[in-house]
Amino acid sequence: MKLTISLINLYLVFFCLIISSDESSPSPPSNSFLGIPPQDEEYFKREMIKCKNGSKLFTKTQLNDDFCDCPDGTDEPGTSACPGGKFYCKNVGHFPSLLYSSRVNDGICDCCDGSDEYDGKVKCPNTCNKAGKVAIESLKRKMEVYQEGVALRKQEIEQAKRAIARDKAELSALEKEREAVGKLVSQLTELVRKLEQEHQENEDGMREAQNEKVENEKSGPEENADSQTSEVEKKWQSNESPPDQNEKDGDESSEGLSREELGQLVASRWTGKKTWVQVKEIDQAKNDQENGGRDAGYKESEADNASHQSWLNKIQETAQNFLNMFSAPVANLDSNQIWKDYNDYTAKLSDIDSRISSLTGKFKHDFGKENEFYLFYDRCFELEQDKYVYKVCPFKDAKQKGGNSETLLGKWVEFGNSYRLMLFTDGDVCWNGPDRHLKVKLRYAALMYTPILCLDEKLEEFKQKLESMNQVQEQGLNHDEL
Amino acid sequence: MKRIAFFFLLFLASQTVHSWKKDEFRACDQTPFCKRARFRKPGSCTLIATDVSISDGDLTAKLVPKAQQDHDQDPIKPLTLSVSVYQDGILRLKIDEDPSLDPPKKRFQVPDVILPEFESKKLWLQSASTEKLDGNIAGLSSVVYLSDGYEAVLRHDPFEVYVREKAGNRRVVSLNSHGLFDFEQLRVKKEDEDWEERFRGHTDTRPYGPQSISFDVSFYESDFVYGIPEHASSFALKPTRGPGVEESEPYRLFNLDVFEYVHDSPFGIYGSIPFMVSHGKSGKSSGFFWLNAAEMQIDVLAKGWDAEDGILMPIDQNRIDTFWMTEAGIVDTFFFIGPGPKDVVKQYMSVTGLPAMPQLFSTAYHQCRWNYRDEEDVENVDSKFDEHDIPYDVLWLDIEHTDGKRYFTWDKLLFPHPEEMQRKLAAKGRHMVTIVDPHIKRDDSFDLHKDASQRGYYVKDATGKDFDGWCWPGSSSYPDVLNPEIRSWWSEKFSYKNYVGSTPSLYIWNDMNEPSVFNGPEVTMPRDVLHLGGVEHRELHNAYGYYFHMATADGLVKRGDGKDRPFVLSRAFFAGSQRYGAVWTGDNSADWDHLRVSVPMILSLGLTGMSFSGADVGGFFGNPEPELLVRWYQLGAYYPFFRGHAHHDTKRREPWLFGERNTALMRDAIRIRYTLLPYFYTLFREANVTGVPVVRPLWMEFPSDEAAFSNDEAFMVGNSLLVQGIYETRAKHASVYLPGKESWYDLRTGTAYKGGKTHKLEVSEESIPAFQRAGTIVPRKDRFRRSSTQMMHDPFTLVIALNTFQEAEGELYLDDGKSFDFKQGAYIHRRFVFSNGHLTSSNVASSPLGNSKFSSDCIIERIIILGYTPGAKTALVEPGNHKAEIELGPLGFGGQHGGGAAVTIRKPGVRVAEDWKIKIL
Repeated sequence: MKLTISLINLYLVFFCLIISSDESSPSPPSNSFLGIPPQDEEYFKREMIKCKNGSKLFTKTQLNDDFCDCPDGTDEPGTSACPGGKFYCKNVGHFPSLLYSSRVNDGICDCCDGSDEYDGKVKCPNTCNKAGKVAIESLKRKMEVYQEGVALRKQEIEQAKRAIARDKAELSALEKEREAVGKLVSQLTELVRKLEQEHQENEDGMREAQNEKVENEKSGPEENADSQTSEVEKKWQSNESPPDQNEKDGDESSEGLSREELGQLVASRWTGKKTWVQVKEIDQAKNDQENGGRDAGYKESEADNASHQSWLNKIQETAQNFLNMFSAPVANLDSNQIWKDYNDYTAKLSDIDSRISSLTGKFKHDFGKENEFYLFYDRCFELEQDKYVYKVCPFKDAKQKGGNSETLLGKWVEFGNSYRLMLFTDGDVCWNGPDRHLKVKLRYAALMYTPILCLDEKLEEFKQKLESMNQVQEQGLNHDEL
Repeated sequence: MKRIAFFFLLFLASQTVHSWKKDEFRACDQTPFCKRARFRKPGSCTLIATDVSISDGDLTAKLVPKAQQDHDQDPIKPLTLSVSVYQDGILRLKIDEDPSLDPPKKRFQVPDVILPEFESKKLWLQSASTEKLDGNIAGLSSVVYLSDGYEAVLRHDPFEVYVREKAGNRRVVSLNSHGLFDFEQLRVKKEDEDWEERFRGHTDTRPYGPQSISFDVSFYESDFVYGIPEHASSFALKPTRGPGVEESEPYRLFNLDVFEYVHDSPFGIYGSIPFMVSHGKSGKSSGFFWLNAAEMQIDVLAKGWDAEDGILMPIDQNRIDTFWMTEAGIVDTFFFIGPGPKDVVKQYMSVTGLPAMPQLFSTAYHQCRWNYRDEEDVENVDSKFDEHDIPYDVLWLDIEHTDGKRYFTWDKLLFPHPEEMQRKLAAKGRHMVTIVDPHIKRDDSFDLHKDASQRGYYVKDATGKDFDGWCWPGSSSYPDVLNPEIRSWWSEKFSYKNYVGSTPSLYIWNDMNEPSVFNGPEVTMPRDVLHLGGVEHRELHNAYGYYFHMATADGLVKRGDGKDRPFVLSRAFFAGSQRYGAVWTGDNSADWDHLRVSVPMILSLGLTGMSFSGADVGGFFGNPEPELLVRWYQLGAYYPFFRGHAHHDTKRREPWLFGERNTALMRDAIRIRYTLLPYFYTLFREANVTGVPVVRPLWMEFPSDEAAFSNDEAFMVGNSLLVQGIYETRAKHASVYLPGKESWYDLRTGTAYKGGKTHKLEVSEESIPAFQRAGTIVPRKDRFRRSSTQMMHDPFTLVIALNTFQEAEGELYLDDGKSFDFKQGAYIHRRFVFSNGHLTSSNVASSPLGNSKFSSDCIIERIIILGYTPGAKTALVEPGNHKAEIELGPLGFGGQHGGGAAVTIRKPGVRVAEDWKIKIL
């Protein structure tokens, strides 16, 4: 029943349009002010109207007559005749919107009030009230989340304040400690120098031997790695070498490869995947080393943190002992104890230095206007996507882990766009296959949701928006009742 | 803090060093048959025609050696020769081994390429006359009728076949005039013989031994030869042998997946059409087509190549000799007499079929990338087009959309709701294309593979097992699409039931169908692989992709119950592929040279039937500079097939990613295509009826204009528009040759330029040179929409470019844009003629006016007249006798508005489907 009725309506609308169009146009709107924003209506209430770009004048009858007179679209706000035009939907009950003129009478409902489709091809129900309600609901939900976020942000700032205070206290304690230990170490160094003079020849001999050994160990594996790659390269190059003129040549070329290897090799030209894997594996090893070192140092100093006071006392005691030693003849000194102390305290000093530099390094960062990002320093965020796990550590780096390999996507640079953007650059360079020499530098963009950005002002903005939405919604309801 | 989500985009800055692996492909001198053939001397063919007679309407003969044979050689058996004649000036020459003499194997004849109805066009020869040539006793010839004014001649000793114009005995095309003919007959292997061939670690067992064929073909009154795609090289074919030619490979026809092909080389790439067209000063063209799907090598011989051999040829300075070599198959050749270029094309199409009528949406802009990552990405790209008011019709998904490169499946993580995704696009009148390649993953849990292997539908290796090759999914097998039963099975896979997640707005892309086999010789299938009936892959290689394309297109026809025109883009092709869909020029590169070479490549494809073709806009490999990308869009808007595509290591390059200015320029370029869609669609229909390609060389429209013969910088879109790309960075000027005697109007400014002259034009970033020829009428739709679907009811603009007689004419074809109803006359076809100040619209459809099953309520909203003296104020529209205003109006809208203005009839309000007349008062 309903369908039939609407069909008849459609037919009638169409019929009327044909009559009114006087064979000149398929679908000029019945309301010549269609598509004009209310604030502009005055502009169009003249006999002769100017194209907005000043290019020419057009008459009142040319307004919305479905023929483009102004190249900028001024004369056809309510039709699709001018490509540059904009159509204004009133959308009573919801927010008004501006559409490209390409959307007018294209058979697709764009305005929630359906005003963009009036030629009878399609009937667009008015969904503004419904859409308005949905928008209000979603705004309310958003506000709730935001409110929660504002509270979380405040907490976070408080925690950050405490953490900063703690770190600052630690830093100043460390600086004191450094002064004391530094003195001690320079004294110990003096003592050690004395001892060394005695055993110079022996020591020299030993050290040289050691150095040689260390160097061998260092260069060994590297050379191996090099020779491995060059072997791969050679294999590849032999693949590339021009075949003999003989018709039955090429025996050496790809015969070394299995069917599968050859298939993968050729496929890798397009995908570049083969060497990608190699690079990742190498980098993982490198990263592991770095990470291991840094973490170990950090933990140690943290463990020490608790017993600061007693340490200082102890150091002062030891220092007193050393002062006494200086007066004693070298021969009487307990060289073993000195060596042990020397080693212990230099190690201690370097730990303190490293902790100080890590703390001062940390303080150099910009943690936001209220240091709200301070606690992000020691945090990492992970996301699993398909085969990879993406790990983002703010102020440090961003990585992609897949299988047993890891790729550095970038190192921390700074915040951008008023703390809405974290910038990481200088990620791993991957050689995309020896055949293609495709140099790929990875950068990445991530979206992260955090309440840290929930500002009070924004919440206020939301409240205002909600109020205005409630207003238009009421208008819409009244309109419906009329 | 716990609720964290990441959204990733990868930006990849890549730098590609071109590395075409030339050595992985066989050069002629690494290919025994080619190397041997190239060493042959003119006159070395000793075959003579005997037993010449008329039988079954053909002129038949036996070819036997003239001289006594050496006793230690195998006896040469006589070959059978037949000459048949078909309507419209087509001669068919077949030479094969005599089946009655028990050859070891039947040689392969390519099936399902020649149209079934072609046989009905055969003229049954009744008799042959005999004549003596040149007073030479040995020069006996048999002459048969070919068409009015043309004869076919078989000279007996030495044997030669040619076509001549009766008047003046002028030769047109001839075969074996230089005695280079050679036909290696199949024979039994001797004990000490080694027939195997090895190339880069691959062994070809060649169980049937040498079986190559070669011969020379001469084109008379010719200055240039064209055609034989696919090569990335100039449109006019360059000589490959003879005086003045340094070392050059012959033009190779062997379908190959060539990684990063170079822009100027005779090496074979993805497709093969062994059809050559000649053209000369006389304005005449002729053609030669060899139906053979084995590897082919073709030399274009430079003038004087035979000077030393002293062969006497009829004196003809404007002759071009060519030398054709193939590895296997038979001689099944067609001579086309022309005489006009469009006649040659039409004659070729009467053998291999006319280009399919495409769906309207497929003639609009396509957006592709390897790969649109997931449904969110698709939605995002789609909405960005709307946000920037850029129209597009089709969004493409490359291989990554599948579940592990198993075609007909979807990656469940990335594309969990394929139907909903397609429906969302379809709601805006947009379509989707997914990729379906011929390699099937050898995975026992994959139904398609299970089905194919159980039925024994895979191509077999030389030992008879399912051939196992490597491609995207890893270990893969390939359906034997030579077999019609297997093609039918394949086509069923496209039903909505079988292709889960497909909807009526989904169409198909066939890639890698050369076929590409990553671990095969030359990245393709070994030649000794076996097809239906023991046919070796070497015999049909070049047609594998054709059969696959055919089976896929048939699948889409079946899916739509025969009511929906298929759209299938294929990379590989063969003679006849035009019947099944579009092709593109494969994996090109983002550089100016590849932009430049796209024009001769598309011209060659169009000339040889593949009217619906294009190159990847932007270049597949590498990152185009924004300027290059803009220039590519400006040129690509005039390609018959218009698609942007990119490799997955390249930066994103959708039109809105390069700043506002560049977005506007690309939007303008794409919009030009959309305004011209009515014209393009009319041209697609012209191709569908006559075979004349949408994009054509200048000389096809101006056959006597010599300056146009080797011009492949510019091209004609239909008979009305001339377009020339800008092929270099920061160009300030372009030299554009405008052929003919009439003027040309700049599309943007309306400025008139004289024909028959090279103009040095100023060039801006806004457009490339494009002109409308005086004397033509071009239909447009000037309203911009989201996609072509919404343009269906929009009004037309007619652009009339007057010639010196103040006359012009043009046509408009329209139908429902998607069904086959047009075959039953459901279309509108109008002719517009302007003369004596009157514009008339008349019906040229076969169905009488008002009887068409297709109707359109579209009106004409604007008529622009170029070259008309302003002054008139009104026009009278008949019937109805209402008046329409005349004013000076803009030539175009949006960015196309190049400041040009012209006499414009405002709102004539006439219906496009009706007869009417408009008189300028």
